[in-house]
Amino acid sequence: MSYLNYTHLAPELIVAIMGLAVVFFGLFIPTRFKRGLGCISGLALIIAILEILRNGVLWESQRVATYFYDAYTIDSLSQFFKLVFLSVSFIVVIASTRRYKESRYQDEYYGLLLFATLGMMVVASSNDLLTLFIGFELASMSTYALAGFDKTNPKSVEAAMKYYIIGSISSAILLFGFSLLYGATGTTNLEAISAYIAAHGLASTTGTAILVFLVAGFTFKMALVPFHMWAPDTYEGSPTLISALLAAGSKKMGFVAAFKVFIVALIALKLDMQNVFFILAIITMTYGNLVAISQKSIKRMLAYSSVAQAGYISMAFVIMTPLAVGAGILYVLSHAFMKTGAFIAVGAVVYMLTREKKNLPDADHLDNFAGLSKRAPLTAFAMMIFVFALAGIPPTAGFVSKFVLFSSAIHAGYITLVLVAILNSALSLYYYARLVKYMYVLPPAGETLREPRAYLLAMLVAVIVVIAIGVYPAPFLEWAMNAATTMGL
Amino acid sequence: MVPLNYYLLLSGVLFAIGIYGLISQRNGIRILMCLEILLNSANLNLVAFSSYHGNSTGQVFALFSIAIAAAEAAIGFAILIALFRVRDTIDLHNINILRW
Repeated sequence: MSYLNYTHLAPELIVAIMGLAVVFFGLFIPTRFKRGLGCISGLALIIAILEILRNGVLWESQRVATYFYDAYTIDSLSQFFKLVFLSVSFIVVIASTRRYKESRYQDEYYGLLLFATLGMMVVASSNDLLTLFIGFELASMSTYALAGFDKTNPKSVEAAMKYYIIGSISSAILLFGFSLLYGATGTTNLEAISAYIAAHGLASTTGTAILVFLVAGFTFKMALVPFHMWAPDTYEGSPTLISALLAAGSKKMGFVAAFKVFIVALIALKLDMQNVFFILAIITMTYGNLVAISQKSIKRMLAYSSVAQAGYISMAFVIMTPLAVGAGILYVLSHAFMKTGAFIAVGAVVYMLTREKKNLPDADHLDNFAGLSKRAPLTAFAMMIFVFALAGIPPTAGFVSKFVLFSSAIHAGYITLVLVAILNSALSLYYYARLVKYMYVLPPAGETLREPRAYLLAMLVAVIVVIAIGVYPAPFLEWAMNAATTMGL
Repeated sequence: MVPLNYYLLLSGVLFAIGIYGLISQRNGIRILMCLEILLNSANLNLVAFSSYHGNSTGQVFALFSIAIAAAEAAIGFAILIALFRVRDTIDLHNINILRW
């Protein structure tokens, strides 16, 4: 534990400095050169990703460093999630350089995007309720503004308003839960809380009260049923690239925060937690898949599928063996790439259609995807890979992570849960396969479209990672298992 | 010295008022005010517990959360203004393009 060695904070520092720089220099740069800001933001993100891969913390199963009076830790859990957040933003930035290339507000866009990433990274590294809350709020506030970024579009503003209200309520409830937790234990450090409860115990009423507030606060962010109402509206209304960030980044931040608080600090309440999440996981996956079937808007369908996937990931909280938590973490990684890719493919279709016809009301309607393989073959192919990965078909990331997660559940004896999850996977195949049928079997709904190169590059990155995890899962699985070990289960 | 119970009761009542307001009100500004009440009930808790435990962590936490609440309110009003520009209303019952 060295005090003056801040090299492990390099990814955060790069993102923070670049965020400030983009906002500052955006003041002086004329609009036609602002596209460069997107390029250097992407560069900063890729440097941060390489730095995390280079310094090898992902291979360690022990804590590597702590900073700021134990409020900030570097271990494989934090680095793993930072990798997820940085890659999601990187993919979103690549596509954004095309989507917003004529916008006057690009500096603000990239600044907010980098600050949102920074907030998520702070949550991933936090070891104290205070740092966790600040990171959580930094990421939430930046994404509130991003969700309403197309501010002349009533849908986008409405999505931002709904997201803002529900998000603020959830953070207020979370803060109330934190205050009770602090009151019960007298400290805000996560490990100190765990040590205090182990030594002095926790009255069962106090424990229940804390758990109610924290579960409500976190599951809003994770979009588990019955706290999911905001998610479909927000993902449908916000700009598609921001939906990708929300579904793949912001939601995963809810998961890492919940892992930290529930598994590191409140492991003493394990039994209560398992019961709560057992019910939440089953309701969430069933409801998400059932409602997704009847959706005609692809963005909304993906939103409900993302609700269902959150149900699968939260199985980790039910089983709580090291293997299952590792599997949940691996699922977070694969879901991040599958979902970002799928939203960006939808974004590409919406972009191509609205370029021809301004103000097309429902550009992401299922009918617009008919015969997409003829109109935009590369986008259609990438979309097919992403939806098959989401459905869990080999050799993709979705299959590997589902396989590890479900086998860990069987290993721990949760047969009911696994049965429900597998039936749900079968159910979900219906609406994923329907989309593929629309794209590949039905006749084209219009002429050939010119596919934007930036979107194609973004989808290519996501496709490569999705296939890589599916074909060669060993390193990813080992990182995830290291991450689960550092939580000290 | 006022016992801890009274503070907790007060913060509980404030929390309930905030939630009630969020459910019953439809004007955007009032919703934002209810959010502030919710956050402040948690701050009150933190400060009361800080004095009860005799360490200053809770007060530091409350200071941070007040700053965060201010930033959050600013974003809320910005979104409300954007909403008023496109829809000419901040009555949240009419904000219903997106559903099911």
